[in-house]
Amino acid sequence: MTSIQLTLLIFGSMLFFMAIRVPIAVSMFFAGAIGYVLQTGWAPFASFMNSQAFARFAGYDLSVIPLFILMGNFATHGGISKSLFQFAATVMGRFKGGLAMASLMACAAFGAISGSSVATAATITGVALPEMRRHGYSGRLATGTLAAGGTLGIQLPPSVVLVIYAILTEQNITKLFAAAVVPGIIALVGYMTAVAIYVRVVPGQAPEVADKPESMTLAKIMGVLPILIIFTLVFGGIYGGLFTPTEGAAVGAATTLITAMLKREMSFNKFKESFLGTAASAAMIFLIFVGADLMNAALAMTQVPNQLAAEVGSWGLSPLAIVAAILVFYVILGAVMDEMSMLLLTIPIFFPMVMALDFGMPKEMTAIWFGIMVLMTVGFGLVAPPVGLNVYVVNSIAKDVPMSESYQGVMPFLISDVLRTLLFLFFPIIPLWLVGFVG
Amino acid sequence: MKLLTFFAQICAVLAGVLLTGITVITCGNLILRNTTGDAMAGAFELTAMASGAAIALFMPLCQVRQGNIIVDFFTAKLSDAANERLDRLGALILSSLFLFLTWRTALGGLNVFESHSETQIMGFPEWIVYASMVPPFALTGLIALRQTFFGFEFTAEKQA
Repeated sequence: MTSIQLTLLIFGSMLFFMAIRVPIAVSMFFAGAIGYVLQTGWAPFASFMNSQAFARFAGYDLSVIPLFILMGNFATHGGISKSLFQFAATVMGRFKGGLAMASLMACAAFGAISGSSVATAATITGVALPEMRRHGYSGRLATGTLAAGGTLGIQLPPSVVLVIYAILTEQNITKLFAAAVVPGIIALVGYMTAVAIYVRVVPGQAPEVADKPESMTLAKIMGVLPILIIFTLVFGGIYGGLFTPTEGAAVGAATTLITAMLKREMSFNKFKESFLGTAASAAMIFLIFVGADLMNAALAMTQVPNQLAAEVGSWGLSPLAIVAAILVFYVILGAVMDEMSMLLLTIPIFFPMVMALDFGMPKEMTAIWFGIMVLMTVGFGLVAPPVGLNVYVVNSIAKDVPMSESYQGVMPFLISDVLRTLLFLFFPIIPLWLVGFVG
Repeated sequence: MKLLTFFAQICAVLAGVLLTGITVITCGNLILRNTTGDAMAGAFELTAMASGAAIALFMPLCQVRQGNIIVDFFTAKLSDAANERLDRLGALILSSLFLFLTWRTALGGLNVFESHSETQIMGFPEWIVYASMVPPFALTGLIALRQTFFGFEFTAEKQA
């Protein structure tokens, strides 16, 4: 069997399993196993599997993922979202569409202590959706805003997606997080601008501004202070060289738990729910790791990914055009596939291809910039039809809003996403600017 | 299934306690390192080992909650009954993966036990982590097998 035939067999069997609803991780695993056994025989494969779970699960670099997920779950169950939204709503109350903008701000702030998009969307929806509906916001705008706002959970550090990219490509997590800060802030500003324009162009989506906006109280300020402290402690410690990202995640989880306990929000049941929520997310990600590892090992043995990188490099196409094509491919693939699996499956193939191109900047910067570009498309895939995970999550909470309305609601944000992606594609300096300050 | 779900929850809570333990040890170690300079050498190995066990212990609950992501795009037009049959088939295939992992990880554990494999700095025996992975893998396989033959009704109820 030629290497091309083998590659087609591996991909073909993966797609077949996926199409019949076999979990993605399992599809990758069996497709990879078929490819591995066909190339090496049973014994090397069996021997590889003896230590595979240990090698993947018990790595120090990867332990940052369950810790950041635990931190996010403590934040979710610790009543932190309510204080965030109340503060943001008071700040934005004087603007038309202010509550939608406040929801976005709350998502961004929550995203600064949570690395998960779905968790951010679900948590902020819990407090912001009833308020927006009560004030007369349309279901379309409310759900669209929250689904898009949820993506700020991964756009801003800490971001589980970026951690996975950093591990796959052996890049510095700290620098990748730094690179995500400016794009994350631009994403927030872009989304808020989208709301401001939308409520003015499309009538009936948001109420007029109240005559007497709520006043800011000391209690509201004190409510958001812990989040500021946690964020400063975690990232100040990481960037100040006091601790590693994994230690930062542990500090973040501990301080978030302490905050929740001080707020008297962490009952025994919520504590247990935090663990159960962490279990579901972390296990799902790590099982995909196991499947993707095997799939990538089998693919690497065929040599096709390297040949492909060399072949594409020899075409003499503009490097930017190749990256743009990869991003378009991600958007299409993201329409039918979960983003995490998509990354684990494709980064080992696309990354060498991109690194073989010359963008006129150091290789490390190229790797970081490509990571941010990939992050943009992941965010896009989480809200774009036909399968936008965040839209599903928010819509399942907003039971009176039809799914088609929610998808219409995310359109202004998708336009903002496209513009932002183009901005970073043509001006890599924007995300890379802050990286220059990291030692 | 109630018993299996109960065990899955026990595993998840145990893993959560392990992770929380890591956060406490890490914070204590950081405080010592940045004050007295007298920190525990190789604490990062402990973090890696504990999170390895924790992640394996998280697996059963993820399967109870049907947390492993599927692609439903291609089968969206099929009836609910047809989709459930496919999901049961998916659970059977997942079950075979976990039973295979149970077998291979047990063998891997025996290998590292016999070779006295330890972490470099703290000398923590690696077989302990292997041993803590085997029961949750077997439990996940059993849960998926149970779902294959008796469906997901209980799970859905539980999630709601």
